[in-house]
Amino acid sequence: MINEAALRSRETDLAVDPLASPASEPLLRVENLSIRFDGAPKGINVVDDVSFSLAKGKTLCIVGESGCGKSVTALALMGLLPTPPARIVQGTAHFEGKDLLGLTERERADLRGNSTAMIFQEPMTSLNPAFTVGDQIAEGILRHRKVSKTEAWERALEMLRRVRIPAPEKRLRAYPHELSGGMRQRVMIAMALANDPQLLIADEPTTALDVTIQAQIISLIRRLQEESGMSMILITHDLGVVAEIADEVVVMYAGRVVESGSVEAIFEDPQHPYTIGLMGSVPSLGRRQGRLATIRGSVPPAELMPKGCRFTPRCPFAESRCATEPPPLVEATPKHHVRCWYAPLEQHRGAVS
Amino acid sequence: MLRYIARRLLIAIPTIILVSVLVFTLQQLLPGDPVLTMAGEERDPQVLAFLREKYRLNDPIPVQYFVWVGQVLQGNLGISLRTDIPVLKLILTKLPVTIELAIFAMIVALAIGIPAGIISAVKKGTAVDYATNVVALSGLSIPNFWLGILLIMLVSVQWQLLPASGFVPPSEDLWLNIKTMIMPAIVLGTGLAASLMRHTRSAMLGVLRSDYIRTARAKGLLGHVVIWKHALRNALMPIITLSTLLFGELLAGAVLTEQIFTIPGFGKLVVDAVFNRDYAVVQGVVLCTAVGFIFMNLLADILYVLVNPRLRHAR
Repeated sequence: MINEAALRSRETDLAVDPLASPASEPLLRVENLSIRFDGAPKGINVVDDVSFSLAKGKTLCIVGESGCGKSVTALALMGLLPTPPARIVQGTAHFEGKDLLGLTERERADLRGNSTAMIFQEPMTSLNPAFTVGDQIAEGILRHRKVSKTEAWERALEMLRRVRIPAPEKRLRAYPHELSGGMRQRVMIAMALANDPQLLIADEPTTALDVTIQAQIISLIRRLQEESGMSMILITHDLGVVAEIADEVVVMYAGRVVESGSVEAIFEDPQHPYTIGLMGSVPSLGRRQGRLATIRGSVPPAELMPKGCRFTPRCPFAESRCATEPPPLVEATPKHHVRCWYAPLEQHRGAVS
Repeated sequence: MLRYIARRLLIAIPTIILVSVLVFTLQQLLPGDPVLTMAGEERDPQVLAFLREKYRLNDPIPVQYFVWVGQVLQGNLGISLRTDIPVLKLILTKLPVTIELAIFAMIVALAIGIPAGIISAVKKGTAVDYATNVVALSGLSIPNFWLGILLIMLVSVQWQLLPASGFVPPSEDLWLNIKTMIMPAIVLGTGLAASLMRHTRSAMLGVLRSDYIRTARAKGLLGHVVIWKHALRNALMPIITLSTLLFGELLAGAVLTEQIFTIPGFGKLVVDAVFNRDYAVVQGVVLCTAVGFIFMNLLADILYVLVNPRLRHAR
C-alpha cells in the first residue's frame, strides 16, 4: 500500500528544501475549529477542535474514513458550508493574516476562486450542464480579474492546455456532457487554477474516477503545484497518494484530529491505533507477530458517540478510561501530535505485556 | 436543430388526425338534434328532411367524417348552423382577441410566478418563503370572477383608472386596447402565477442542492449570478412545460373572465355554440384549440433544446 520509493524520494526532497524553515508564518493556520449540525445531540460536533497549519508551497493531506469531517472542514474553509444546518461553533482560520471565518460573505466570495480554490469529488455533476466549458472557466476569470471577455476566453484556453486536455480549442466550446469524467475533472482543475490561487483544496479529486485516470489526475495536480508554487490541502483516503505527495498529514476520526505530523513521522512511526489500523499493518511494532488488517465496525452515529475517545468502540487497545475521558492531543515526538492515552503505543503495549 | 423540429412536426401529424376523429366522434355522441333546433317551432317533416339533406346529416358517419376533413383541409370549417356565418370567419375574429388576452395574462403570470418561486426557494424556511406561499395559495383559491368583480369595483368604479369592460381592437386605439386588457390579464395571470410559483420553487430547490451550484459558488460568483444564471437555467424545463400548457389552456378561452369583462373571445363563442348545439362551430373551435395545444407542445420541445444542450444531439 505504501509507496516506499516515493517516501524515500520525498525525504531527499525535504533534505534539500530551502523553504523548510519552521519560523515563517504559515499560509493557512486553522485553530480549534468546531462545527456542529443543527439537530445533532448536544455537545457532539461533526468537526471538533480541529487545528492544523499549512506552509507556502506545501501539501497537507487530510486522511480518514468517509463521514469523519474532512469535507466539512474543507467546505468551512471555503465558506461553502450550508448554514443552517451547519454552524461554526468556534475556531479561527487565518489565511494570509485574515481570519477567513470572520469575513463577511462578500469578502469570502472575493477570495473564493481567486486566492483560494477548490475541486470536488464528483466531476460528473460538478459542472453546470447548461453552459460550455469555456464559459464556465471564463466566468471565474471575469469575476476576479479586470480583463475583457476575449482575454478571459484566451486565459481559459491556456488553462485547458495546462491541464493537458487534447484539442483544447474544440473543448472550449464543448458542453460537460460531451466530456468523460477524467476530462471533466481536468476542466474543474483548470477552473480552480485559472486565477492562480495560493491555496488549492482538493476534496477526494480522484475517488470517482477510474483507477488509471486517478494516477494521471494526481500527477497532473502535482505538476501544476510545482509549476505554480501553491499550497494544497488534499483530502483523500488513498494512503499511497498521501505517501507520494504529502508534506504534512492530518488523520481525522469522527470529527477529531487523532494524529498529525510530517508524512515521514506518520508513516514511519504511526502512534494512534486508528492510523495504524488505516495502514493495515504495524510497521513500528515490527518485533511483534501479527497484523491489524482491518478496523472493526464503523464510525458510531452521533447519538452513540462515546464521551471520551471517539475511537473507543473500535480500538483494540481501549480500556475503561478511554470511553469516559477524552484524551488530549499531545506532542509524542517533536511536531508529531497524537490524541491517545496510550501513545506512544510501543511503550504502553510493552508495559502491559 | 431543423431536423429535430421537422421530426417533432411529423410526430404531431398522427396526433392531429386522432384529435380530428375524436372531435368528430364526440360530436355524434352529443344529445339533441341540430335540425330540430334550426327548424324552431315549425316542425314540418319536409323542412326537417330538407335540412338533413342540405347538411348531409343522412350520410353514413364515416362519410360525414371524410367530407368534413376534406372541407377542413381547404380551410372550410363549415357554416355556423345558427348564424350562417362561416366558422372560420367566426374563429378568425375571436382568436386574435383570445391570443392577445392569453399573451398579456402569460406575461403577468411569468413576471409574478417565476421571481416569487425563486425568492421562496432561495429563502426556504424563512418568513419570506411562508408569506409567498400563503399569497400563492390565496391566488389559487380566489375564484377569477370574484377577483374580477373586485378589481372592477376598485379600479374602475372607485378610482376610475381603467375601463370596466368592453373591448377595442388594437387597430382602432392601441392604448385603449391595452387598457381594456390590463384587468382581465391580471385576473387570469395571477391565478396562473400561483401554480407557476409553486413549480418554480420546487424546481429551484432541486437545482440549488446540486454540485454545480456549489462549483459556481466556489468560483466566488455572487449570489444573484449563481441563482439567475446557474440555477434558473437548469430549473427552466418544468417551468417551460407548465407555461406552454397554461398558455394552451388560455387559448381555449377563459369563459368566466371574458364574461365579466365582456371580451368577445373564444370562451363566449364556445359556450354559445354548445348551448345552441351549433356543431360546426364547436367542432371548429375544439379542433383549433387542439391544434393550438399541439403547437404549444412543439414550442415547448424547441425551448427544451434551447435551454438544455444535452438534448441537442438526441435522436
